[in-house]
Amino acid sequence: MAAADTPSATLRRRDLCSRGIRLARKMRSDVTDLLDIYVERQGLDASASVAVVEGVPAAAAERWSEQTGTQRLLDNLAAYRAFRVLLAQMLEEQQEQLGNTDTTLGRALAAVLLQVSAFTYHLEELLQLESHGPPSEEGVGPPARPPLSLFEQKLRGLGVLRELAQWAVRSVWDLRQLAKPNPGSGSAPSLAESQ
Amino acid sequence: SSADSHIQYERVGADVTMKCGSMDWDAAVTWTANGTDIDDSHLNGSYLILKNVDLTQSGQYSCYEGSSWHLKYQTYLRVGTPPKEPVLMCRSNNYPKGFYCSWHLPSPTYIPNSFNISVIHGMREMVCEKDIFPKNRCHIRYLQLFSTVKYKVTLTVTNALGKNSTTLTFDEFAIVKPDPPESVVAKPVPNNPRRLEVAWQNPSSWPDPESFPLKFFLRYRPLILDQWQHVELSDGTSHTITDAYAGKEYIIQVAAKDNDIGTWSDWSVAVHATPWTEEPKHLTTEAQVTETTSASTSSFMPPPTTKICDKGAVVGSGAMAVCWTAGLVLAAYGVLFI
Repeated sequence: MAAADTPSATLRRRDLCSRGIRLARKMRSDVTDLLDIYVERQGLDASASVAVVEGVPAAAAERWSEQTGTQRLLDNLAAYRAFRVLLAQMLEEQQEQLGNTDTTLGRALAAVLLQVSAFTYHLEELLQLESHGPPSEEGVGPPARPPLSLFEQKLRGLGVLRELAQWAVRSVWDLRQLAKPNPGSGSAPSLAESQ
Repeated sequence: SSADSHIQYERVGADVTMKCGSMDWDAAVTWTANGTDIDDSHLNGSYLILKNVDLTQSGQYSCYEGSSWHLKYQTYLRVGTPPKEPVLMCRSNNYPKGFYCSWHLPSPTYIPNSFNISVIHGMREMVCEKDIFPKNRCHIRYLQLFSTVKYKVTLTVTNALGKNSTTLTFDEFAIVKPDPPESVVAKPVPNNPRRLEVAWQNPSSWPDPESFPLKFFLRYRPLILDQWQHVELSDGTSHTITDAYAGKEYIIQVAAKDNDIGTWSDWSVAVHATPWTEEPKHLTTEAQVTETTSASTSSFMPPPTTKICDKGAVVGSGAMAVCWTAGLVLAAYGVLFI
């Protein structure tokens, strides 16, 4: 971890975190817009509850404030790598359903997919700085697409986008924690200790 | 209606019949309300009939055997209403620690009510710990953050005459609303007639402003105008207003919001401040001499709006006491009349 503690590494980390926060905020804004488009184009009820879907990384965290900086990065990286695959699958499904992806929804999906890819790369850079290096993606194939009806596909897509929106907020706060002078310790009061 | 041996609850507008314990219908009895005899016109045999009861008829009702004046029955009548749908509000002013819910009835029932609140998050029922004060509030600790699963809060209010309930369903982020900023202070900036320095503090209820920083919205206006100026500040807890009207008293308020989630707080307590103004200066000796020379050859009278200076500054007979700025005007007129 010595490389991560030098003054230049600290500055680099803070710079990467600041840029990452801006990326995450933009991503969140675009995902929020995408959700509106998705709900409208898929004919869904915006308030519909979606059960936890296998293969979609849940943003919910029980001991978030106690996480180390490295753990935050690893969790974020795993999530966005999964979202990259899931969004690509959603684009494929659009292609299958409509015959093309050059629709408002298709273009919005593609734009968010691009941002997710960029953010994933950004996280890999941060992990590189922590001297851990990002875990390899080899051998970890895309989650198998379960056979779903068209309606189930639409609901699954809604679940994907909702979790992505939550992750974008979580990432802002994760990066803010990481940018602190001692990002290795969980410095915020733990939920278990909260009043 | 329901009655026990001591308390009987009835709805407003109901017709109430009270029996005198085990006394026969045709027994001779006397009824009192709060110690005052009740007129026989309200009796049907030994039964007391109260038609279309109202709130003023709440009280202690007693029935005495006619001749012996033995107390045969006593009850406390409470007239009231079943509860209307309660008003429920939930808010997190201390994210990410938890949130609180508070409630009230839109109109009083005039009889005791009990409240029961349930908080469901997914499959989990959460504990809402009741506050001692105020007693219509409870708080919940977050066990998870960033969940997409909504919270469902149901409040049920029950009294002897009925029950009612309301349910709120919301996302974790939607109810986040900080308390207003605290200790707002505004003061003039010396030698700057158009500036005011404003400073404030994060609300003390916001537990971790370093990890969850707040942004602020400042609004200000001179008291003489209705329109507010607004400034949004993404960091820091101070701001310098640079476009204040000179000499005008201002009213200033600040609001807060998490940078990424939730809604703006209410406005802070208002503070007042007036920008710095220059103190009026007394005339110098030279200026006074110049003025005296000019005044001796003219009969200039200062307009009514001219401010009057300290009369101790006047030199020479026949000269008016005028301020420095009016003195310059005088000097100019004096030149014209020479």
